[in-house]
Amino acid sequence: MSYVDQAQSSYRSATRYIPESLRVYLPILPVMALVGLFILYPIAQAIYSSFFTKSLLAPSEAEFVGLANYVEIWADPDIHQVLWNTFVWVTVGSLAAIVLGFLMGWLLDEKLPYTSVASAIVLIPWVLPRVVGASIWQFMFGGSQGIVNELLVQMGVIDEYIVMLGANQYSLWPPIIGMVWRLAPLFALLTLTSLQGIDEHLYEAARMDGATPWEQFRYITIPMMKYNLAIGFLLMLIYNVRNFSMVWVMTKGGPGVSSSTLPVMIYRAAFIDFEVGFASALSVLLFVVLLVFSYYYIKFYDKVRGDM
Amino acid sequence: MATDNTDPTAEYRKNQSWLYDSKAGGYVRKTAIGLLTLVIGVFVLFPLYWMVVTAFKTTSEIQQIPPTVFPADPSLEGFRLVIESSIQAGGYAGLVSDLFGITVTSAIDINLLGLIVNSLKVAVGAGLIAVVLGTGASYVLSRREFRGKNLLMSLLLASLMFPGTAIMVPEWELISTLGLFNTHLALILIYGAMTSPFVVWLMKGFFDDFPDSIIEASQIDQCTPFETFWYVLVPMARNSLIASFIFAFLLAWNELVFALTLLDNSKFTVPPGLLTFVQGFNTQWNVVAAASIIVSIPVLAGLAYIQRYFVQGLTGGAIKG
Repeated sequence: MSYVDQAQSSYRSATRYIPESLRVYLPILPVMALVGLFILYPIAQAIYSSFFTKSLLAPSEAEFVGLANYVEIWADPDIHQVLWNTFVWVTVGSLAAIVLGFLMGWLLDEKLPYTSVASAIVLIPWVLPRVVGASIWQFMFGGSQGIVNELLVQMGVIDEYIVMLGANQYSLWPPIIGMVWRLAPLFALLTLTSLQGIDEHLYEAARMDGATPWEQFRYITIPMMKYNLAIGFLLMLIYNVRNFSMVWVMTKGGPGVSSSTLPVMIYRAAFIDFEVGFASALSVLLFVVLLVFSYYYIKFYDKVRGDM
Repeated sequence: MATDNTDPTAEYRKNQSWLYDSKAGGYVRKTAIGLLTLVIGVFVLFPLYWMVVTAFKTTSEIQQIPPTVFPADPSLEGFRLVIESSIQAGGYAGLVSDLFGITVTSAIDINLLGLIVNSLKVAVGAGLIAVVLGTGASYVLSRREFRGKNLLMSLLLASLMFPGTAIMVPEWELISTLGLFNTHLALILIYGAMTSPFVVWLMKGFFDDFPDSIIEASQIDQCTPFETFWYVLVPMARNSLIASFIFAFLLAWNELVFALTLLDNSKFTVPPGLLTFVQGFNTQWNVVAAASIIVSIPVLAGLAYIQRYFVQGLTGGAIKG
């Protein structure tokens, strides 16, 4: 009897009291248990904790305060700045990544030689460890030896080196640029795969009917890949809104809160100020945003699968 | 689109635009595409180039203003400092001096070797959990119909969106309650939970496309369900399984938030270790760049393999490359 048969017979004897109709769930159980405990349960825990005042150092001395943490979010001027920064990240950052990513994908689609090699190289920013990518950008923007400063001086945009990462009026933008650099390749690959999936005959038929390149793009390319683009768009939103590493490595959210986004604020509130309750309330805010994005992500995902 | 004079349908294949159908238009188009490629190419590649050249500069050269675009005096100083520092911090200095008669002292404080060992432990553990648990679940989700299937799938997909910053605070509370704070097991379990839904989706795509006839043939040969799974499906799924493992491995290798909040310095994996070094006093960037290159090697090796599966994973195999 081989080990496979042994596995099967011990599985049979272990599950003999479980009704046939429920056995189908057994192989899914371990994954659901893991996901349930380490991802879904913490979400519930955060909602619960958000109604308490609790210190990270003494979590047992929690005090129920109702909605006070949410009122604090509403009243805190720093949080207003942080929410505005997050909004800028999600809108400007995502749009830039999409436009750039789409162009990259379009160029990769037959307009460049060695598509597969080129798309592998293009993907490097996305797969590189987050901290590595962010460090490179910090080095390029920061310090007195930053190459970006030198480039801007050479191009005549500025006269002398300026402080970028440490200045209130600029610090928000370098991490966004770094994030566009990281995310655009992902969108490019999505674009490339969608473009390659479109049947060439559609274009040929359209040309015979006298469609101009713009019309071909507008009436074939876009409709054929709209759900994939929607999925890509939502991925950009999700990655941007929950990003921590790019900001934290480059500016730590500072100076002040000038470059902080919601995740950075959560980290600060919990692990620097030790205010677990307040941090949990901020987390709940982030869940709500992510939940809305995820809802549409899954919806478009089902659409793509439905069209198969 | 070149028009071919011998082709009678050539007239109809035209693109109806001077940009495509005239010689001048062709040049304009090619120039525009070339310029666009150049601009985007510089944006994507320059930071990578900058990391590489910085790693090969000497400590005095990285402090130069303005910075040099090519290393004037290419040197392996950055790599040497990383290795020396790892030897010293790892407590191997005595061993090295006994074996090779070299005295290693380092002013830099980064134990890259130790960080890599920790990361490997966590990443391999998480990868194995994700692949083993994910594959079993994906097979059932692909091949069987049952109540709540769509709900489970949506739940798994949604759970991919939340990890990281959104749950770092409650995760800290949970891990403390479980008594797993500052253990690598905590990270293995969390990364396993973060990546197994992804593996489920990737492998489900594989099993969805798997021909029924092969499974029927194995049933006719009187294979039990376990035998069919183990001797028929798993060998044929080998490539997808390896890709799944690499995905899970890379996530664990790159993840910062949980590693930073759930571990102390002594147990750090690569991302928080590198972060601490980057944010430390008087950062020496050639050392950072050298360390960055070293820790990126597994990622680049993995990328070559998983590239094909990449989009498939993100869209559940809905579009094929």
